[in-house]
Amino acid sequence: MSTIAPVRWNRFAQLLHWLIALLIVGLGCVGLWMTSMTPSMDKITVFALHKSFGITVLMLAGLRLVWRLATRHPLEMPGPAWQRWSARAVHFALYVMMFVMPLSGWLFNSASNFPLQWFKLFNLPALWGPDPAVKHWALMVHEYGFWTLAALVTVHAAAAFMHHYFDHDETLRRMLPGMPAPPTGDKQ
Amino acid sequence: MNLRYLVFALALSSPIAASAGNWHADTKYSTLAFSGIYQGEAFDGRFKTFDATIAFDPAQPATSRFDVKIPLASADTANSDRDDALRGADFFDTAHTPVATFTATHVRSLGGNHYAADGTLSLRGVSKPVVFTFTWTGGATPALVGDAVVNRLDFKVGGGQWADTSVIGNAVKVHTALKLVAAPGGAPATSVRK
Repeated sequence: MSTIAPVRWNRFAQLLHWLIALLIVGLGCVGLWMTSMTPSMDKITVFALHKSFGITVLMLAGLRLVWRLATRHPLEMPGPAWQRWSARAVHFALYVMMFVMPLSGWLFNSASNFPLQWFKLFNLPALWGPDPAVKHWALMVHEYGFWTLAALVTVHAAAAFMHHYFDHDETLRRMLPGMPAPPTGDKQ
Repeated sequence: MNLRYLVFALALSSPIAASAGNWHADTKYSTLAFSGIYQGEAFDGRFKTFDATIAFDPAQPATSRFDVKIPLASADTANSDRDDALRGADFFDTAHTPVATFTATHVRSLGGNHYAADGTLSLRGVSKPVVFTFTWTGGATPALVGDAVVNRLDFKVGGGQWADTSVIGNAVKVHTALKLVAAPGGAPATSVRK
């Protein structure tokens, strides 16, 4: 393995990035809608899928954190200090929220005394017993966490597009699968 | 006479053999619990209120009578969403059938202090046989500990779209532990008709 930092995100990092992105957007949309459903078997199914995909995000986020810490990743793109610092802050916050959202949902589910079944395959233990106070706070974290995450994702995506369309740099391309390697003159 | 005792007395609608002790459950020290399966996991609930009047003599089990009334709205599974759903029209339908009853007039000895009551459970307007097995520990305040299995779909509890037993199991285990006290008026009981 080369000792210099790669110029692109490796394939597995790309896969995790886009898979989690897709799941987060889907979970957010379904999550906003599902609470207004009237009680029905369909509602149970939708909630069960929301929980299953949410736990999937938690598992992938754990894998992603390990991968991020264990493998080499591209250096930051050059840019003004405020951009580099805000990018770091947003990336850090996104990592935090990838754990906060599923864990607060899990805690809310546990304190509500519901089981947690992953795609009808196996059950996960409760994080907490039935507890109205914990239920209330976990839901608050999950709901405010959602809006926080929505804001973070928006800023993150807007910054990526800004880099791509206005700065014409590699920020977005190096996370896109199937893109040709940047010209060799493009030093990090 | 305490009004509650009057209700118990009125609940006895058939003659009881003079030799059978007549008891009712001291609900403060008695439980009526149930356990179902939801999404692959057991959940526990209990009925916070119920009345159980029991005429039973271990020496003559055939002369027994069980009269149990269960206000279904008192079901508590430590989950407000589920409890609301249980009370709803698709499950217990407490608006139309607020009380379930279990009545048994035939008790068999299973050896030792084990017995089986072949009774009838009336729930949601459906009456079907249910076998209740129990142990009897005699004394001034006898203890009756027993179990039954109720298949919810037999009583149309959660039929229609809710009938998917891979999500909501069909068999519901019922467990009860009763501390019995002598019914007022004292055992042996006499016939009281409504």
